[in-house]
Amino acid sequence: MSGERFLSTERGERLVADLTLSGVRVYAPVEAQGRTEYGLIKDLREAALGGPLPGMSLKSLFFPPTEPLFRWRQSGSEVALEAVPTTFEPMVILGVRPCDAASLAVLDGVMGWDYKDELWFGRRQAATILTIACPGFDDACFCSAVGLGPDASKGSDLLLVPVEGGYHVEIVSDKGAALVKAHPACFSDPRGRESAEAFRQQARRRVGSNLEIDPHRVRAWLAGHFEDRFFDGLGLRCHGCGACASVCPTCHCFDIVDEPEGLLAGTRRRHWDTCQTGKFTVHASGHNPRADQNPRFRQRVMHKFWIYPAKFGDVLCTGCGRCTRACPAGQNLLEILGQLDRQPQQIPEGMTS
Amino acid sequence: MVAVSESREGFEPRITAFVCNWCTYTGADLAGTSRLQMAPNVRIIRLPCTGRIDPLFIVKAFERGADGVIVSGCHPADCHYSEGNYHARRRFALFRELIEFLGVDPRRVTFSWVSASEGAKWRDVVDATAETVRDLGPFDAYRQPAGRTACAS
Amino acid sequence: MRELRELAKKLLEEGTVSVVIGWEEGPRGVRPAFVTSPEDAEQLVFNSRSVHNLATYLNPRRPQVRRLGKPAVVVKACDAASVAALIRETQLKREDVVLIGVRCGGVVGRPDGPAELTPETVARRCMDCEKREPALCDHLVGEAQPAPPRGEGLGARLGALEAMPLSERWAFWAGELARCVRCHACREVCPLCFCERCVADKTVPQWIESSPHLRGNLAWQMTRALHQAGRCVGCGECERACPAGIPLALINRKLQQAVAERYNFKVSDDPGVPAPVGAFRLDDPQEFIR
Repeated sequence: MSGERFLSTERGERLVADLTLSGVRVYAPVEAQGRTEYGLIKDLREAALGGPLPGMSLKSLFFPPTEPLFRWRQSGSEVALEAVPTTFEPMVILGVRPCDAASLAVLDGVMGWDYKDELWFGRRQAATILTIACPGFDDACFCSAVGLGPDASKGSDLLLVPVEGGYHVEIVSDKGAALVKAHPACFSDPRGRESAEAFRQQARRRVGSNLEIDPHRVRAWLAGHFEDRFFDGLGLRCHGCGACASVCPTCHCFDIVDEPEGLLAGTRRRHWDTCQTGKFTVHASGHNPRADQNPRFRQRVMHKFWIYPAKFGDVLCTGCGRCTRACPAGQNLLEILGQLDRQPQQIPEGMTS
Repeated sequence: MVAVSESREGFEPRITAFVCNWCTYTGADLAGTSRLQMAPNVRIIRLPCTGRIDPLFIVKAFERGADGVIVSGCHPADCHYSEGNYHARRRFALFRELIEFLGVDPRRVTFSWVSASEGAKWRDVVDATAETVRDLGPFDAYRQPAGRTACAS
Repeated sequence: MRELRELAKKLLEEGTVSVVIGWEEGPRGVRPAFVTSPEDAEQLVFNSRSVHNLATYLNPRRPQVRRLGKPAVVVKACDAASVAALIRETQLKREDVVLIGVRCGGVVGRPDGPAELTPETVARRCMDCEKREPALCDHLVGEAQPAPPRGEGLGARLGALEAMPLSERWAFWAGELARCVRCHACREVCPLCFCERCVADKTVPQWIESSPHLRGNLAWQMTRALHQAGRCVGCGECERACPAGIPLALINRKLQQAVAERYNFKVSDDPGVPAPVGAFRLDDPQEFIR
């Protein structure tokens, strides 16, 4: 269940080699053509562990941009449905950032809500998450402001903290314990506890200085101020381009489409969608309740910081900062959250958050 | 350019032809009534004018299983709607440059002007296209890619 | 900068415009600003990080911007070409916008990156730019600027791709376009993507599959390139906005080159110059037609 270990760099290479040999897919941040993304590796040396935050979040590995839901085939008046597999080959993801690991646990809420998403949970079950604590990436990080942190273990199975010669390992979950147990040659007695603690403190200080808010205060204000003029104009520079939603580890809206192959067969698929596009809320009548970018941008903020936590307890944001980095128009979520946090609290009578 | 590959044993290309009603369709009909023998690989889709042909039709044909496409209409100055083929000419020129740039062999798409009286020319276009596309082989590279996505797994 | 701020202030005070759309220093770099009161004109800046094509805010699909009233927009020469295209295509009346032209010696690739203009930081599209100031404008501010640093621009990259054998080029584009997640950021940031209902969103019938697999992505990107042919001014915002880092501007540039070679059309900030697509000549080249 809990416990500490040490993983040296060499033993880390051995771990990846052993896993790969036994047929486990290993993913890690990989650098290619000037970009760092989570990708498949065969050797630890292919990984860019101390490098930049991967551009796209971890959600692609659990909730791919497009995936088949089932296939159909018609013969006469009979329609046969072919289900897609919901169990997956084991995978280990190494070098996950705490913000990305946490997003998996946050999304478990909606994915298990009114319908248990077998594809999501199938992949969750198959994956072991080896998080490496982050020193704090840049001035757009704000994980600590939303109740997490650069060394948070939420969503992780093992938490690795960089120390001299390797990583101090904290076993977070049963799955993490099982991995350690299955590779006794790789994990040795704990070492570098103090050094790990110092790393964590420094990282927390660094990220903490980017933004300090009280998410509960923000939520309470949002709950009582849906029509507030604060939101007028937030949509002005926003293009509604959806870049923020595509890089976000917690955005999860999707559309479902049928793709026929000939007249008698086809595939039903789902793919990523975003509330930031104009047609997201268009009704069949043609009416659009979110007719321009102002209410659409408001929706993004409301959903992430009030509606989702009211339903599932977690803020729908892990403070990774990708939206702020990716936005071509310079929208800045840290700035917006800071402003929201400072709004005077006047919650109307009887209104609960 | 990709070297012309050996044709697969027994592979017969599937070719879709988008043709204008007034010239090429009539010309193809003439080829038929004249009993001209030609490759059987072509399925014709009749449109009022080449100006109606959106490049997406060609893309859709490839998506749905065509190995090659023919686009054919009236000669310049003979368009039934006066200008349709002039617009089409610019559009197709750019489409061809685009697909070649993206790495699609432009020999998979044949453009021609075939008039109502050119039954023999239609036969020549069909035969030449069938031969070229047979040599190029099936366009699997285009049909398969539904499986390739941004997802690493 | 002083000149720009004073002009903006004056335009607002006199009521000539209701909003000045320019750039400001945001918390993480330069970003678009919408100044509606004269005192706020002090926020306006123009520098090497003024990367954004502000003409996109004149795109008719932005009712929240139109509601602000008659705008003044600060434009570099490239941005002015987008405005010209909007006027040319009757999406904007010349008299409904005040254009503040600004003299430009190039911008960097990222508005939140290093500000110093060097051959490594300069935006690729600036590398072979000859226009230091827009002709299409009502006012012109700023000091004369030297030409941008030269480097391996889009033209060179295009040449390298065209030199590849066909199959290698296919492998390159298949690899790049497989990463597209169909967020359509490329479409949303473009000043000239103004269709109320984009063909990619049409479902009855559906010509372009909405799924982000390679097949669907190819249909989308080909359509986008063809619909922009002869219209795209080469501002590169599509590529900058792409969260997957796909070199979209290369595709647009290829067609820009094809249009220039075949139809002798150069991107122009004169709204009077007719667009090449939608037009034709009786003697257009047809060497590819049997």
